[in-house]
Amino acid sequence: MGDEGPSRGHRWNGDDLMLKQEAIDLLAKHRNGAISVTTMQSAAPWHLGGHTKSFHLEASACMGSASSLGLGLALGASDRKVMVLDGDGSLMMQLGSLVTIAGQAPRNLYHFVFSNGHYESSGNQPLPSNGRSDFVALAKAAGYPAALRCTTADELDRVLPEVFAKEGPVLVELAIARDDATPRWAGVPMAEMVRKLRSDLGTA
Amino acid sequence: MTTTNAAPVAVGIDGRVLADAIRALGVTHVITVPDTMQKTAIESLASTATPKLLYVCTEDEAMGINAGLYITGHKPMLLIQNNGLFACINTLKAIALDAQVPTFMLIGQYGRDATKTIEANTRRQVHRLEPTLDAWGVPFERLEGPADLPKVRAMWERAWETKGPAAAIVGTATT
Repeated sequence: MGDEGPSRGHRWNGDDLMLKQEAIDLLAKHRNGAISVTTMQSAAPWHLGGHTKSFHLEASACMGSASSLGLGLALGASDRKVMVLDGDGSLMMQLGSLVTIAGQAPRNLYHFVFSNGHYESSGNQPLPSNGRSDFVALAKAAGYPAALRCTTADELDRVLPEVFAKEGPVLVELAIARDDATPRWAGVPMAEMVRKLRSDLGTA
Repeated sequence: MTTTNAAPVAVGIDGRVLADAIRALGVTHVITVPDTMQKTAIESLASTATPKLLYVCTEDEAMGINAGLYITGHKPMLLIQNNGLFACINTLKAIALDAQVPTFMLIGQYGRDATKTIEANTRRQVHRLEPTLDAWGVPFERLEGPADLPKVRAMWERAWETKGPAAAIVGTATT
């Protein structure tokens, strides 16, 4: 775990970075009933792992909106933890949401950013940041009370209980290895998931 | 030709009255990228605890937060301006329309010359707003003066009945 330091370039080709699937499995292990919001690179493995059956919303139909959807859920269901499984490219589309989340300061929002420096689904083009941007620093500068980075599965497994014990909002950048083999997945229509989540929450 | 002495087509609605109309709907949250045309309504809304006023960076965020609050059992709405509607078309499509989320919007006609009809206004953000809403199948009503206030409730109810977007267009600055 590193609170400080740059997240530039070099890490995205490292051999020791955690795999996306490892991060997915660990987040599921420590979920403990939290509402999950996935988008883009986390959506298919979260679904294929069987983690979308209840208290879940998938936001790939609106790239960039996972953080804002998560904020609305967290403000509206303050008695329940909300975990957003964001993508780096996706978060960049609504980077200002970091500021809005910090301003609203939802104590139950946990913001995980799968960070591999590439637009994975469209063919692994580099992000506009070219590896020079730092989500941990961005979150802290926006006003998140806590932000940290994990680069290995062991590290993530160790810190997740501490993360979920903190008051949010907390951002965790997950430095993951580039993955050229993520399965294509058509997803579930968002309207169905909205109805299901309202049913799970008893608000339908 | 000057228009300064022309009779107004749109008359400003008292911002406190507009805010009271919002409160009467049972709105729990007003999510806003503040709109110059609705300044006095925002001031009135900010003066009470309910509905809660949420300031956000972009209209895209407003759409997402609106959905999250709806899912968790609240009754939120958006207060934005015409340029903001143009800025969030993708989220309007994906969240309000495709995900079937009630999304009531008060949209201010920023840049409107109130002495002219909307169609006669030369600024694109004014005369292209309604065609844009039409293109996406978003129902709307014009608020051109105090007599149009009942249309606020009508569009709010439309959004909830259809589980989708509906707009009330604030034609000139609230007073």
